[in-house]
Amino acid sequence: MIALLSILSLLLFTSCIPLQISEVSDLVISDQQVWQGEVRIKGVVRVTREGSLTLLPGTKLVFSRIDRDADGIGDAELFVEGEFVARGTADRPILLTSAATNPQPGDWKFLYLDYARKAEIEYLISEYAYSGVQVHFCRAQISFSEFRYNIDGVRFSTANISLKESYLHHNRHGIRYEERGGRGLVQRNRISDNRIGIFAVTRGEGRTLFELNDIIDNEPYQVKMGLQQTTALDFPRNWWGDDKGLSAETVFDQRRDRSLGRVTGTDPLDRPINATRQIEGD
Amino acid sequence: MMKVLRPVPVLLLLILCVANMAFSCVGKSLEIGTTGSVQQEVLANIIAELIGERTGTTVKVVPFNSSDEAHAALLKADIDMYVEYTGVGQTVILQAQPLADADELYKAVKDRYNQELNLIWLKPFGFDAAQSLGVTLPAEAAPVVRKDTLKKFPALARLINKLGGKIDQQTIALLEKEASGGQSKQVAHGFLKNNRLI
Repeated sequence: MIALLSILSLLLFTSCIPLQISEVSDLVISDQQVWQGEVRIKGVVRVTREGSLTLLPGTKLVFSRIDRDADGIGDAELFVEGEFVARGTADRPILLTSAATNPQPGDWKFLYLDYARKAEIEYLISEYAYSGVQVHFCRAQISFSEFRYNIDGVRFSTANISLKESYLHHNRHGIRYEERGGRGLVQRNRISDNRIGIFAVTRGEGRTLFELNDIIDNEPYQVKMGLQQTTALDFPRNWWGDDKGLSAETVFDQRRDRSLGRVTGTDPLDRPINATRQIEGD
Repeated sequence: MMKVLRPVPVLLLLILCVANMAFSCVGKSLEIGTTGSVQQEVLANIIAELIGERTGTTVKVVPFNSSDEAHAALLKADIDMYVEYTGVGQTVILQAQPLADADELYKAVKDRYNQELNLIWLKPFGFDAAQSLGVTLPAEAAPVVRKDTLKKFPALARLINKLGGKIDQQTIALLEKEASGGQSKQVAHGFLKNNRLI
């Protein structure tokens, strides 16, 4: 009888009562979890291939500044191989941020989507990370989101990414990507006030379409090619902050290093798109 | 307060910290040693800024008190590279006789470092290091890099060699003067920008 009661108590505890915690260290999620409210993350949260994590509107993930390998980059992170759904709303966005009193880019590492089975992000703000989000070897849909005060705002490689209606600003790189055979659509975003608006690191062949974006006030470069980006890249139909289009002075390409490809911005728009109207609440 | 709204059939809280998993890109960081002088600081920061700006790779500058310390750290793979002087390499590290001819000296240390230490001397910056340091050893300054680092980052040698011959006597003196207030990183960045290298 006592054994039966113990088993029933255990079942009740593990499957019926909502677990309420406000802080996690290293955590592996292999089941289906839905989070809301505020949680402080002091380590690596990993969603396994079998796992699923859903963040409800208004959820706030606060990453502590921990640097286990002393490389100057925070090591707290959210790493997803399974499903990740973060759908905030305009009024109640989801926030991923630093716990530091005086937060800096790189306080925490990243939201990393690696071979993720599903990745859907709406109305999410990611700030003070090494990378606001990284997407690798998977399909990801990101819209109405904001990436600010990171080293890399949005970074992807070998991915099929849709990035729309989002605002990327005050990062070292607004977008940093290595296409490597992947495809993408980057449309109707505002990419502004980053040191580099778009950093095409290597292996880009024009499979990622950047169009109808406002790409403005990124200094010193609106578009920069990495050391091994030898193929020409075009960024058509964007607003570059000037009705004359993309200025050569704001591009790092073969005009500065002959081994690189050439950057063009064909059919430039003559006025801004105002792509992030919904996020900014205009 | 976070709530888990759905059942939790499997929840594994790891109490002990796990080592950071080598999750590709961010793990690709490099470390450059310096040996204490303003000249070393500014040269290391020039390399660090060049690599960081052109490849996106994170580069950390690590201070040491001497060439001996930096060399030991390089051999142990605690760092990936540092700037060494051919005269120091020949007489202090390799314990060999000094050579008067700069080209002959560079070739001698380059060959022995490669064959005996698995370390690669890249192109000298271009200034007379002996003159700039006020010593009598005939010497050039050049980055020395671990061979396995160059294998991991195949484009690295070509990139760093863009600095070869780019810094003459007048330039290094100016850079040192500018960086003497502790602004090595900013000075390095300005040098690279002015030379259209970043």
